[in-house]
Amino acid sequence: MSAKSVSRSRGSSLMAYLFLAPTLAGIGIFTLIPIVGSLVLAFFRWDIISNPEFVGFQNFTEAAADPTVLVSFGNTILFVVIAVVLQLGLALLLAVLVQERLPNWLRVFFRSAFFFPLILSAASVSIFMGYLFNEQFGVVNWFLGLVGIPAVPWLTTPTGASTVIILVYVWQNFGFSFLLFLGALAGIPKEVYEAASIDGATGWRKHRNVTIPLISPTTLVASVMAIISALQMFDQPYVLTRGGPGDATRTVVMVIYETAFKRLEFGKASAIGLILMLLIMAVTALQFRLSKRYVFYQ
Amino acid sequence: MGDSTRRGDVTRRALLGAIGLGAVGATVAAWPRLTGSDIPGRGEDRLTIAIIGTQADAEARANLVKEFERQNPGIKVRIMAIQSVDWQDFFSKILTMVAAGTPPDIVNVATEGAQLFAERLAHPIDEYVTRDKEDMREYFADVHPSLVEAFMYRGHLYQLPIDWNAANMYYNTSAWNAARLPDPAENWTQVDFRAALASMKQAASGDFVPYYWTNRLFGGVVPWLYANNTSFLKEEKAPGGEWLWDEFYGDSPARSLLSGGYLWQQPNADAPEVYESFDFLRGLVVDGLGVRPEGGGGNTLVGQFASGRVGTTPAGGYWVQGLHEAGMKPTDYDVQFFPRWATGEGSELQRHQFGTAGYAIMKTAKDKEAAWQWLKFSASLEGMKLIFSNPNTTPSRRSMVNEELFGVKGPKHWKRFYDTLDRFPATGPIPAPPQQGSVETALIKNVSLAVSGSEAQMKSALQSLQRDLELALRSNA
Amino acid sequence: MTTQTITATAKRRRPFDWGMALRILVLVLVGALILGPVLWTFSTSLRPPAEGLTLPPSFIPLNPDFGSYAEVFRQLNMGLLVLNSALVTGLIAVGQMLSAALAGYAFAFLKFKGKSALFSLVLATMMIPVQVTIVPVFMLIRGMGLSDTLLALILPAIPTAFGTFLMRQYFLGLPTELAEAATVDGASPLRIFWSIYAPLAMPGLAIVGILAFNFHWNEFFRPLILTISEQNFTLPLGLVTLQGNMGTGSISVVLAGVVLSMIPALVVFLFGQRTLREGLTAGAGK
Repeated sequence: MSAKSVSRSRGSSLMAYLFLAPTLAGIGIFTLIPIVGSLVLAFFRWDIISNPEFVGFQNFTEAAADPTVLVSFGNTILFVVIAVVLQLGLALLLAVLVQERLPNWLRVFFRSAFFFPLILSAASVSIFMGYLFNEQFGVVNWFLGLVGIPAVPWLTTPTGASTVIILVYVWQNFGFSFLLFLGALAGIPKEVYEAASIDGATGWRKHRNVTIPLISPTTLVASVMAIISALQMFDQPYVLTRGGPGDATRTVVMVIYETAFKRLEFGKASAIGLILMLLIMAVTALQFRLSKRYVFYQ
Repeated sequence: MGDSTRRGDVTRRALLGAIGLGAVGATVAAWPRLTGSDIPGRGEDRLTIAIIGTQADAEARANLVKEFERQNPGIKVRIMAIQSVDWQDFFSKILTMVAAGTPPDIVNVATEGAQLFAERLAHPIDEYVTRDKEDMREYFADVHPSLVEAFMYRGHLYQLPIDWNAANMYYNTSAWNAARLPDPAENWTQVDFRAALASMKQAASGDFVPYYWTNRLFGGVVPWLYANNTSFLKEEKAPGGEWLWDEFYGDSPARSLLSGGYLWQQPNADAPEVYESFDFLRGLVVDGLGVRPEGGGGNTLVGQFASGRVGTTPAGGYWVQGLHEAGMKPTDYDVQFFPRWATGEGSELQRHQFGTAGYAIMKTAKDKEAAWQWLKFSASLEGMKLIFSNPNTTPSRRSMVNEELFGVKGPKHWKRFYDTLDRFPATGPIPAPPQQGSVETALIKNVSLAVSGSEAQMKSALQSLQRDLELALRSNA
Repeated sequence: MTTQTITATAKRRRPFDWGMALRILVLVLVGALILGPVLWTFSTSLRPPAEGLTLPPSFIPLNPDFGSYAEVFRQLNMGLLVLNSALVTGLIAVGQMLSAALAGYAFAFLKFKGKSALFSLVLATMMIPVQVTIVPVFMLIRGMGLSDTLLALILPAIPTAFGTFLMRQYFLGLPTELAEAATVDGASPLRIFWSIYAPLAMPGLAIVGILAFNFHWNEFFRPLILTISEQNFTLPLGLVTLQGNMGTGSISVVLAGVVLSMIPALVVFLFGQRTLREGLTAGAGK
């Protein structure tokens, strides 16, 4: 007899609904109603002060024609691609280095060190990174100066600012992918490697032929999670560059924030938000698609 | 499954219970904090005044409030400090409060938002000024009309200027002397200025920046545009305002210039003078004489200037206190008028820019009479003396910009702060139409591109500025 | 020759391990890049305010000066910021633990109509980013009369799809026989939950709580939008505005604030790292 049938014997679905009430009511009020609200709002023009006005698809067409909105999607996708590739590459490399042949105390030390930035607030990190990357008085340029590289205008040129945003983001977030890879590597049985070395695989080839295929389910999950979180980038550009110079570091979420709360164009902000949500759903759907192919490993 | 497990369960249950009870207890105990009802004056029937700044800024007005409440029994005041990174941020928070159904009665608004408020949120004060004109005569006699004109919108007055700041040029005297430069002349030009920067750079060693500036509406490109007698928006003036000017400024030398307020309705980023001014700044950046300006920056500027590694930077009287706190002696720096343009109309005018601030009464204010009393009291000499104890801004009253306030902590030529108005009648407010938010955003983002690259990049940035401004001005605020 | 000397000679003869050296070099380098900025922050916060920008940078505070810390307390109502952050984070964490435990238990053990549909619905909401719903949430908060209060930050954050999922998984890993025995004794589901399963699920609850703490202590986006009065600011927001206000002129002061705000997170890192690690990676295993 399972617990499920046990509770049925008491015949009360009611009890279950009571257990669920706080969560379901909360999700209903603060997620589902707002989603519907967003869907409706996207078809209205409303600045809260005056009355809402139905405008059909105008918010969407305006958003699609607004260079700032388009640039922000371009920036966001560019940041996501570069940041995620860097983040996963670095995380995998470090996970392999930490997992193999290292004395345990060193492994614990490095694991803690790489994981550490995850506990900081992105706002705090962006504050001190902003000082470090200052063109005239920053520590980064000071170090570059030591090896004879002239001061780089990090935060004041489009390329420099985008680079900093990506670096700061990866700095703080690669530890998460690192932990995932570490878990996956620990899960690979020793015998697999032994078998591989009998076949003559060593070093790099061993990883290419054994490690990478075996951890591919984790790679997939890690990339999807990294992509979704990077798509929502806001704190770093907000604190470091305010989206500038020009629109070079303006992300989609920044545009949503500015459209809604700086210009009070709530309808348009909702429309942009919905487009972002579609993007995120598409990534998730892709994950389901791909994970079916890799289902063997899971 | 022995007793030990069960005992473990009991302590775990106790722990869970304690966490739960703790949360309930905290909720109950902190309920006023959670609902914000512990914030003094919230929910009470008080005259609510929103100001930009911190709680410390609100407390700095405590004496003013106390005296006001003493003189106006029956009116209770609540100062609400709203921390914001810049004026735009502050205004959007005020709009959020309006949206949330809890608007303040009075808002301290700077030039940046004057027309936004006049257009949408503020109540004109014409009737009160006219009614109490005998009381107001002394105030207007002490305040330069250009400041008042900045709060005129389509013939109506919305605010009384309390404080203001021009963009003057601060310079580090030791860097200046190290380059063996003579004191800058009052009518120096941008060419003289550039030459001085070059000498300073040559004389200095290490990480020294001859010209440091920030990219925003106040003190960014605007002073250089005004110096060249141009602007990125076409400047027009509305008719009207005679009711005020004839009454209080009839014999002012500037009377003929006074209008019903500024209008900025068209972009002007394609004007050749704008190009000229931008190209000058770009030249400073390219040649390493000036920094590429950071967006929204300025937060470490006082520290950098005080550390002696910045040669010159534009600022007004508001800087004196900060430099004093950062340990700079009055002899370590001095202040000169902003340079004039060597050629063209700007050459004769030597026009400067300023920003000013004062209280605006909200349309939604229930007791407008009480609100006017606040405006009047805070503009009075008595009221101003209660708040301006430190030189962290320039009072709008000429008589307050005195030895007592600036003499001790201020630079040698502190008198130039107010002289910027008295000696240069063409001096005007920074351009801030009702659509200021989008306008400033468009300006900042294109300025940073324009001055930090090639001439071609600057050209395209100016074109894009023109286009962005057109879009921004078309929308209704 | 004794055994000991044999091994000693063997060790001596082993060629220098270049691979290992390279491996450690890379790790140390990355470690320095990660910890360096944090050390610099800490060390610079202990410089006198006037020397905040002085180069060369310092990474170890040799002559600590606590002036900047005093200044942070002068410029910011640090006590209030900490109280606000603690209230918001603490109540969200406890609220999430409680609601997720109940819902997770129901999804794991109780039988009711529409179970799989409801569970899918809950899972689906995990994908919806907070930025998409922020405008309607803002309106809802206004409608509830909670604009510019801490409750506006707390209430919407309590329902947790991820926490519910996590707790369901946790309960499914627990033996069912206990419930059966108790049911035979005539105990109610609530009783079974409270006396048997809740204590067993403590480690899972700790994960939910610590994750909530880590996320909401550092949260920036929602407080930026949902609070207006300085008295309702949380720490990250207070710090960013401290940086934005031009009063200070010293980065040491700002960095002192940053360091202070890190302390609670650091405590969690030192004592709850394992739980936090498990929690962070738990989502990936679904």
